[in-house]
Amino acid sequence: MSATTATMPRPDFIHVEDYNFWYGQNQVLFDIDMEIPECQVTALIGPSGCGKSTLLRNMNRMNDLIDGVSHKGDIRLNGTSLYDPDVEVISLRKRVGMVFQKYNPFAKSIYENVVFSLRVAGRGKRCELDETVERSLKDAALWDEVKDRLHDSAFGLSGGQQQRLCIARAIANQPEILLMDEPCAALDPLATLKIEELITTLKKQFTIVIVTHNMEQATRCSDRTAFLYMGKLVEYGDTLQLFGNPKQKDTEAYISGRFS
Amino acid sequence: MPGPDAKKPDPKRFEVSRNTLLFDRFMGWFIRFGGIAVIIAVIGIFFFIAKVAVPLFRSANVEQSGSVEAGVVPPVIGVDERGEMPFLYEGGSKLTFLNFVDQSTKELTVPGLKDAVITAYAFDTVRQRLTYGLEDGRVGSFLINYERKFNEDATGSWLEPAVIEEPVFTVEHGEGPVTAVSYGDASDPDDPSGARLIVVKRGEGQKASVSVIKLMMKKGLIGTAKLRMVGQTDLSSKLSGEAAMVRASSNGTMILVVSKNGDIDYFARDVLEVNKVQTFHPFEGEVPQQVDLLYGGVSIILTSRDGQQQQWSLFRESAESVRTFGMVKEFPPLPKGAVVFSNSLRNRSFIAGAGNYLSLRYSTSGDVRWEQQVDYKPVAGIIDGKSKHLIVAGDDGVIHRYQVNDPHPEASPKAFFGKVWYEGGMGAKYQWQSTGGSSDFEPKFSLMPLIFGSLKGTFYALLFSIPVALLAAVFSAAFLPLSVKRVIKPMMEIMASLPSVVLGFLAAFWLAPVLQYRVPSVMLMILMVPLSVLMIGYCWGRLPVVLRNRLDGGQEWMLVLPVMFLFGWLGWILGPVVEGWFFVYTDSSSGKQIADFTMWWPQATGMAFEQRNSLVVGFMMGFAVIPVIFTIAEDALSNVPKSLTAASAALGANRWQVVWTIMLPVASSGIFSALMIGFGRAVGETMILVMAAGGTPVMEGNIFNGMRTLAANIAIELPEAAVGSTHYRTLFLSAVVLFILTSVMNTLAEVLRQRLRERNKIV
Ligand SMILES: Nc1ncnc2c1ncn2[C@@H]1O[C@H](COP(=O)(O)OP(=O)(O)OP(=O)(O)O)[C@@H](O)[C@H]1O
Ligand SMILES: [Mg+2]
Repeated sequence: MSATTATMPRPDFIHVEDYNFWYGQNQVLFDIDMEIPECQVTALIGPSGCGKSTLLRNMNRMNDLIDGVSHKGDIRLNGTSLYDPDVEVISLRKRVGMVFQKYNPFAKSIYENVVFSLRVAGRGKRCELDETVERSLKDAALWDEVKDRLHDSAFGLSGGQQQRLCIARAIANQPEILLMDEPCAALDPLATLKIEELITTLKKQFTIVIVTHNMEQATRCSDRTAFLYMGKLVEYGDTLQLFGNPKQKDTEAYISGRFS
Repeated sequence: MPGPDAKKPDPKRFEVSRNTLLFDRFMGWFIRFGGIAVIIAVIGIFFFIAKVAVPLFRSANVEQSGSVEAGVVPPVIGVDERGEMPFLYEGGSKLTFLNFVDQSTKELTVPGLKDAVITAYAFDTVRQRLTYGLEDGRVGSFLINYERKFNEDATGSWLEPAVIEEPVFTVEHGEGPVTAVSYGDASDPDDPSGARLIVVKRGEGQKASVSVIKLMMKKGLIGTAKLRMVGQTDLSSKLSGEAAMVRASSNGTMILVVSKNGDIDYFARDVLEVNKVQTFHPFEGEVPQQVDLLYGGVSIILTSRDGQQQQWSLFRESAESVRTFGMVKEFPPLPKGAVVFSNSLRNRSFIAGAGNYLSLRYSTSGDVRWEQQVDYKPVAGIIDGKSKHLIVAGDDGVIHRYQVNDPHPEASPKAFFGKVWYEGGMGAKYQWQSTGGSSDFEPKFSLMPLIFGSLKGTFYALLFSIPVALLAAVFSAAFLPLSVKRVIKPMMEIMASLPSVVLGFLAAFWLAPVLQYRVPSVMLMILMVPLSVLMIGYCWGRLPVVLRNRLDGGQEWMLVLPVMFLFGWLGWILGPVVEGWFFVYTDSSSGKQIADFTMWWPQATGMAFEQRNSLVVGFMMGFAVIPVIFTIAEDALSNVPKSLTAASAALGANRWQVVWTIMLPVASSGIFSALMIGFGRAVGETMILVMAAGGTPVMEGNIFNGMRTLAANIAIELPEAAVGSTHYRTLFLSAVVLFILTSVMNTLAEVLRQRLRERNKIV
């Protein structure tokens, strides 16, 4: 983005303002109001079905692809609204990468999966592609496992490997913001650790929003944590403070595992 | 550990219920049975159709069915229509009739020939007329008439032969005895006024001459018509050499004189004139052993002494020239030449043979239907009127009778799939013409024009419908909002259910006349509508985002549609203007310049312009094919998992890139199926083609003329074809071809589809 942010990280890099969201008649998000700071990792936690994925998917307008959705309120990215009339959704999505809750590689080779975002952007120079593939796969802790079969089908990989491939794919074009929806749900502890390391390295350049059901993970790698419950933002604050000293009863109940 | 009194779980809880098992097994068998039944049904249909077509490929079955000791070796042999009672003639006043039914013989004497010295004679099988020439230079003829008589209680019947004498004429020209005669007769029972002629050769060597006696049936003063001579023409001065044989065609319009140096002079009779048209040289200076006209009177079969056999036919070298003879085909050689020759009066087959060999041949295809070595030397032979029997006189004094069973002489692989030089044609070609006006019509059974027509119709239909249907499917699956899609899809399905007879009717009586004078408009529309859409797309991409975001994704059609209509309308309006610029036709007689595409096209390309043409067919078949392709392709595209399209969108792909890189590859096998089903629909489509394709079986890719397809041809001709006839069976053969065509295409497509699916399968 602009040069000013490089010097001073914005505390309200992503600003969700009184955000309400409906799937058809069904309201899923209620008056969400939160500021996500630049170059930090923000974790979204909450019980299943509380609207974490929905909130995340609204940050790059992925929900536009679904018929019959509506919203009220606003989400601002670095000061400009996502819904501004002069926002081009395609370039917005290039700035805001996303890793989905369910891994979904394309029916292409590993290599082509990783460079997909470059290809659709019309960048097809061989050396740049090769470089990107190696960097992204290394960042996603997958390089050593696949470097000898880059041109094999992505479906030949295990579930966890496919998820890491999706992460590599999402970071190939080096987006400003990375939205990760339970990226480690299908991974073994070692790979999880690698992804967490990746998140820690990436946050130097990027702003990361991560959805997780894993409290340890949230404590380990996030700077701030938001607790959502039934579509409402119950509590939002410093990770250490939220876990160590939750202000709300629901938060405390959730993090101590009394309901899920 | 549950105590003894704890409620025990049901011990059967791991068992599958009997009903489930039974149902499962039943369904398994039911589905298997259904599948096998379908396969059996399809194969059964195939075999049923094929079974009807198979007899076409059987060769002739000729079997000896009796012989009679005659004790003579007759030069002329004739027979009644059913091959029951042949007669022998040895050049006197006596005719010997042999009855093959009861083995009796009967002799008849021609009263007028009692004391005559007969020096030449010829027998014409068409009229059953024996023509003779006398030593004193007179010629005459008599007819042999077989009458069927019945017992009084009608329990039995027999043939009663009789001789009907005809007038005798004196040849004015030349001198010496008559040495060769031939009689041509155009009259028939309905019109006895037809012209007749007798070609006569008199004398031998230096003094030989050939003249023609022209005859006419004329009403006398008393009332009854009488055969009168209307003139004689001396041909001697026009001959290439001394005549060896003279031949008049049965219809009396044509005279052939074979000279001893091997040249053949061809004269045509035109009412009172006899004019020389052509001299041709079949076997390089050698006198042919046998020259005879074939049934239909436009072809001759010639055989040389060493056994070469050729067919020469009358045809025009170019559209303007007169019809002359040219060699159209060579038959397989006959080892000993042809002493015996007789042609069928039903079709183009003939029998020829000499020195132990007998061969039954079919001239159209040049096929040998039957050939056999016999243990006698044939000297004369004849095919009966129904082409069911062959009577052959041998040098052993025995008359042999053969039963001929050759119901489909016209059929052969070459006739169906090869180029054949038909009588009157300007060269060998593929042609379909199953029925004609007269009984001597030569049927033309090449399936190639029909196969070509099927492929041509399919090609133009798919050329139009594949782009439209696929683009529509992509647009609907990837761009249109659900609310619009919900309206479009059922509409397309209604379109698919339009009866094709309605489409055909519309095509023939509305679209074809409208399009006929609007071809430039249509061309302009085909060009302008897609271009306008591309142009809009380009401009749209250039607009500031603020404006573009005004329209929700998928609503752009509201903008595109009016522009498309506008440009379509513009194309329609501007068509005549463009016609005036580019399609100006120069009238050859007046030199006037007229802007008219329908005239310009034939002048510029040499190809025909018809009202009912491939363009019309392509459009209307498109209506039948588009919904089929659209519906299946749309389903395939819509079924591409949302997770994949979402993933690519999240990576910054625009909608078109999502379609191109993700949806199309994943849906490719489904789209391929859609195309194949569309292809099948187009190949098998019948009604539209029957009504709007013009129906001429031509083999031209020309978009502005029509076609006749296999399916349409079956629909048109099968109701008229006599069951069991060659025509009928050939139509079944064309159905087999259609069947094979579609199943080969489908198999190929299925293999390709499986490959595609393998390559693009998701998990
Ligand atoms: N495409 C959709 N259409 C309609 N309703 C939806 C859709 N996606 C999600 N919902 C509903 O919105 C609510 C929130 O869903 P969401 O996926 O955001 O939950 P989540 O917090 O991510 O849960 P999980 O932890 O199980 O992933 C749920 O009640 C769900 O049923
Ligand atoms: Mg979720």
